[in-house]
Amino acid sequence: MALLKLDRVTKRFGGLVAVNEVSLEIEQGELIGIVGPNGSGKTTLYNLISGIYHPDEGRVFFEGRDITDLPPYERAHLGIARTFQISRPFGSATVRENVAVGALFGTLHGQIGVEEAMEVADRYIELVGLTPERDKPAGALTPVEKKLMEIARALAMRPKLLLMDEAMAGMHPKDIDKLVAFLRKVRDEEGIAIVAMVEHIMRAVVGMAERVMVMHQGRKMVDAPTAEALGDQRVVDIYLGRPLEEV
Amino acid sequence: MTRGATKYLPLLPVYLIYLVLFLVAEGMPGMWQLMAMLVFYCAVGQAFNIFLGMTGYVNFGYVAFLALGTYGMALSIYHFHQLPLGVGIVLLGLLLAVVMAVLLALMVGAVALRLGGAYFAIATIGVNEGFRYLIEGTKIWGGSEGIIFSKQLLDTFGREVANKLSTFWADVSVLIIAALAALITLHFIRGKTGYALMALREDEEAAKVMGINVTKYKLIAFVTSAALAGLIGAMAWGLKLTYVFPPEAFDISYTVEGIIIVMLGGAGTLLGPVVGGLLYGLAKYWLTVILPGFQLLIFAPIIIVVVVAFPEGIVGMLRQRLKGTPFEPFVL
Repeated sequence: MALLKLDRVTKRFGGLVAVNEVSLEIEQGELIGIVGPNGSGKTTLYNLISGIYHPDEGRVFFEGRDITDLPPYERAHLGIARTFQISRPFGSATVRENVAVGALFGTLHGQIGVEEAMEVADRYIELVGLTPERDKPAGALTPVEKKLMEIARALAMRPKLLLMDEAMAGMHPKDIDKLVAFLRKVRDEEGIAIVAMVEHIMRAVVGMAERVMVMHQGRKMVDAPTAEALGDQRVVDIYLGRPLEEV
Repeated sequence: MTRGATKYLPLLPVYLIYLVLFLVAEGMPGMWQLMAMLVFYCAVGQAFNIFLGMTGYVNFGYVAFLALGTYGMALSIYHFHQLPLGVGIVLLGLLLAVVMAVLLALMVGAVALRLGGAYFAIATIGVNEGFRYLIEGTKIWGGSEGIIFSKQLLDTFGREVANKLSTFWADVSVLIIAALAALITLHFIRGKTGYALMALREDEEAAKVMGINVTKYKLIAFVTSAALAGLIGAMAWGLKLTYVFPPEAFDISYTVEGIIIVMLGGAGTLLGPVVGGLLYGLAKYWLTVILPGFQLLIFAPIIIVVVVAFPEGIVGMLRQRLKGTPFEPFVL
């Protein structure tokens, strides 16, 4: 049984079809890259999975259960976590408090109290290397630190599926490599399926994803193992512009 | 010191202020009414803060909860004073006050709290006026003439006790309610509820995808805030004045005062509404004495300056300054 299954999901905004009959299956522990140009429907797809939007057509399944009509917070309880394209820290709260929110209300919700949540938070803050920043207000972090904080916050939810929206935009290549290595480690250790949405940074896709889905004008154009997907002639023509080796 | 005890340290300055207010009221002749007014503003600030301060939502219908609390007390004493309840009639009044305020909060909240911030604020404006016209138009609860229950109070308790209830116990009860509100606020801030409210105040959509049932937590804050307001109304307006009159009870300027107190002191903080209530109460009293009629004209620019200069309020600013000092655990 797939961890997440989208069955011909469609979302329209007025006359614009942002996501057009997209079907997708994600297995437990998979590392997937979703690529596509701006406006190709990637973020809308995330919003459909995390429950911000309700699809106009099609159904969403998580661990075999139809979650199409569940609100976002219930999906989070089941194990769907995400980060945002533009970081959305709870700015006035400290890094530690931010990450503790993830622990308190994620899949562990109802099982742990504030003090245990702080311990969980500390562990993930250390994992992403933000321990020195722990007691700073999250709003005072650098953009890269905010991204790392968001990842720690999402991981503290102990999710089964982590959706990352442009988590690596604006990062130094070295930091990208470090983050990719970190994400692979998290996947190996905790068995979380990770979907990374990437607009431009092919370095991240190639380094991390085992499978790539390419979106174009709201449709799924290609869904294949990374090398095959990025070598696809349509992907080269429409999206990459030239073969990957030259990019 | 154990963690359990440090948790309650921030209550110390709050309760110290309340103790001083009580001692001044008791010890200095002629100060009782002023102190009672200050306590009233502190209490309203704290009750309002639990919703406005902790969720960031502005409720323009807030005074309706105070009004319903007042009606709860008035109806209890007016209609049930012949029951052999003794002082229990006051407790019944408090119960009725809370029940009525909570019911209204549940009805309004279940619908309006699904709306975003600005839409919520607009929706709540109508609650206040609507309720007032409902009472006046349908002539329930005395209609536009209100309810005067001083006679019933006298009949039940006799002159001496009735007097003591209105001039002493009503004010002291507001102090006790304020102390209770502080305890609840601390419990919220330090607990899971506080984290949920912080998250939804900062970014509601992010809070949702992080597993927070935002409507539930907003409703918790809204109902708690309303219940406390009901208690305050029952005592500070009901039992103290022994009458309720719709245009006064539903006067929207109390809502505005509540917003000012919370913003001035520091929204979402524990000490903030107390500091805000004290400063606002004192300034209002002083301006009324030296420049009667001009207090709002002078107060408005002061508020604007304070809000621009210290957007986090006085206590919010103080907390920043006290970081790393021995005073830090006392200011929340």
